[in-house]
Amino acid sequence: MPVADHAAEMDVADLLRQRRQSYWAIVGRAYWRARGSTLATGWAVLVLLLTVLVPFIANDAPYTAIIHGQREFPLFRYLTRVDLIWLVWGTAVGGFAVVFRLSRRKRVPAEALLAYRTRWFLWLMALATVSSILLAVFKTDKLNDHDYHAMAAQGELAGAVYAPLRWGYAEQEMHPFSMPSATHLLGTDWTGRDVLSRLLWGARIVLEIGLVSEIISLVIGSIYGALMGYFVGKVDLLGMRFVEIVEAIPQLFLLITFIALFGRQLFMIMVIIGITSWTGIARFVRAEFLRMRGLDYVSAAQALGLPLRSILFRHMLPNGLTPVIVSFTFGVAGNIVSESILSFLGIGVVPPIASWGSMLDQAGNPGVAFRWWLALPPGIMIFLTVFAYNVIGEGLRDAIDPKTNKVV
Amino acid sequence: MLSYILRRIALMVPTLIGMTLMLFATARFAPGVTTGGGELGENAKQARQALEQRMRERLHLDKPLVTQYGLWLWDSIRGNYGESIQYNRPVSELIKERLPITITLNLISSIVVYLIAIPGGMLASIRRGKAFDVGWSLFTLALFSLPIIWVGDMLLAIFSNPESIFDWFPVSGSHATNTVWMTSVEYAKDFIWHITLPVICLSYGSFAYLSKIQRAAMLDNLGLDYVRTARAKGLPPRVVITRHVFRNSLLPMITIFAGILPSLLGGTVVVERIFSISGMGDLVVTATTARDLPIVEGVTFIISVISLFSLLVADLCYMAADPRVSFD
Repeated sequence: MPVADHAAEMDVADLLRQRRQSYWAIVGRAYWRARGSTLATGWAVLVLLLTVLVPFIANDAPYTAIIHGQREFPLFRYLTRVDLIWLVWGTAVGGFAVVFRLSRRKRVPAEALLAYRTRWFLWLMALATVSSILLAVFKTDKLNDHDYHAMAAQGELAGAVYAPLRWGYAEQEMHPFSMPSATHLLGTDWTGRDVLSRLLWGARIVLEIGLVSEIISLVIGSIYGALMGYFVGKVDLLGMRFVEIVEAIPQLFLLITFIALFGRQLFMIMVIIGITSWTGIARFVRAEFLRMRGLDYVSAAQALGLPLRSILFRHMLPNGLTPVIVSFTFGVAGNIVSESILSFLGIGVVPPIASWGSMLDQAGNPGVAFRWWLALPPGIMIFLTVFAYNVIGEGLRDAIDPKTNKVV
Repeated sequence: MLSYILRRIALMVPTLIGMTLMLFATARFAPGVTTGGGELGENAKQARQALEQRMRERLHLDKPLVTQYGLWLWDSIRGNYGESIQYNRPVSELIKERLPITITLNLISSIVVYLIAIPGGMLASIRRGKAFDVGWSLFTLALFSLPIIWVGDMLLAIFSNPESIFDWFPVSGSHATNTVWMTSVEYAKDFIWHITLPVICLSYGSFAYLSKIQRAAMLDNLGLDYVRTARAKGLPPRVVITRHVFRNSLLPMITIFAGILPSLLGGTVVVERIFSISGMGDLVVTATTARDLPIVEGVTFIISVISLFSLLVADLCYMAADPRVSFD
């Protein structure tokens, strides 16, 4: 590693600066050096932005219009709680990133600033969490049953400002399976819904399921793995048997069983994918904890009489986070695939929610003409997104472990 | 050695029990059995009552919990999974009809995977770092990243679409509708013709993983002393590769053979669905949409047992293939 080579020639001031360079700063630099991971991160950020902003991009309701002599703001009025929760998180994370970037001075290393801002960031996250919960509990979604296209045709909308794409994801038209045209840039599906709009809205479902279910499996996997790795012996032996049992059942069949039993509401699907895919993370965390449990700082924490919760999750887990982060990104990719397969099989998210998998399902039924405009776009989106998350995972792994063989 | 085999089999018993306990618990305590949600029409009500009745019989809900599990397990081992709601036939019969095609598909696919991954990995290792090595690994990685549902659609669109110029394969099924008049050769031809696309769809994703393993195993062996000895003896490079290195590099591949079966079984669900092959996957998906729980439960039980056994077989294969493995 170049860092080690330089160390010998460094003077004291350099060494001091060097000390400031945290582990994550080194990892970050190694990560951004690879072009593949930069591109993949770019795509992932793009999909995230789309997820947050999609109500403002593809919506049949105008931003604003004069309806019956009154200026109204239909798009904002009918924002659902999910839209608002995404907006809250988008503003929190995006705002932090922007402020962080702007307040960065040349002389102060980014990681020092980050360390200084961590507390801020955590407060911001807490605030976002609380407001999401409040929104989820108290906000009621109003059903928007206006047909804005008909209203516009009858001249009831004056001075309307529309979203760039004037189709909602659930809005049905009279022409099912119409080819791409000027009105529908990517055509329509079997109930006459605009494919492009559904493609954009599908990004949200994909990420919601990918991220939320991965967070669920992350929580289960790290608690489980931490307990196994810390207590070794009988706990570990029994625990690993259970992991083997869960792994022995093919995941798709387990998913199908759970869905048959628990139903297929969106949240249920997230939970189900989460509780069937935690074993990998549990294995990684267990291995990390087995390695760490003999280290001095753990003995020190034990000697101080700290409670188990504190030893496991405040002292050990942050040090064993590396493999977790890598398997998190791989896990998101895997969950996206699981979701698209479930939706493709017709047992995933319930219509009219847009999902890339269910769009693919309509593309070709045996004996019916093939509808390329329904097959190509979602297929490419799934491919790019899954590929991006896999590349991010590989890039992180290479950055974390410089010994890894770089040949693919 | 015998004691190892016995011990390994004995170790499987607790795993099996744990697995069955888990499946039982999900079936027993899931809310789906008794709740359907909302107002129901007369038909739906009847369907729900039928389901409850079937599940009550299957789970022996009138007995104490431990007895319930015991009876359930005993039933499952004897192949008694209750009666299907859609078909009004015993689930075991349905499974018996559909299991062979699923297993055949999986076996053929894994053979295809091996036939392509082994030479690919070998060539990649011989030309390490050269264009073929990099190109092959990129190509297989790209294949691995293609979503199977999309590939299935595209295969159908290109190769079994009357509008396409490559309309070479049938759209659905695993054999022609009328097979009585066929000789066995004709039947075999017809069968291969029908399952070509499904097998491609099922196998393309595994090339990356397996050729990576084959390549690594070859490279491990190429650096060893016996290879140098063989070369020093003056054996031609081809013989060194095929007779010496290749044989020894097959070890991990043998081990994985049974190990990839569970992941392939997952893929069959999708493939059977796309190509309308009436196998286990198709059965279970249809049952899920129709809330035909006895089928879902029975199929998952069978599939889990199969994949557990294939893991056992993988272990035993490893032992048989490598006399250096210690049996303690």
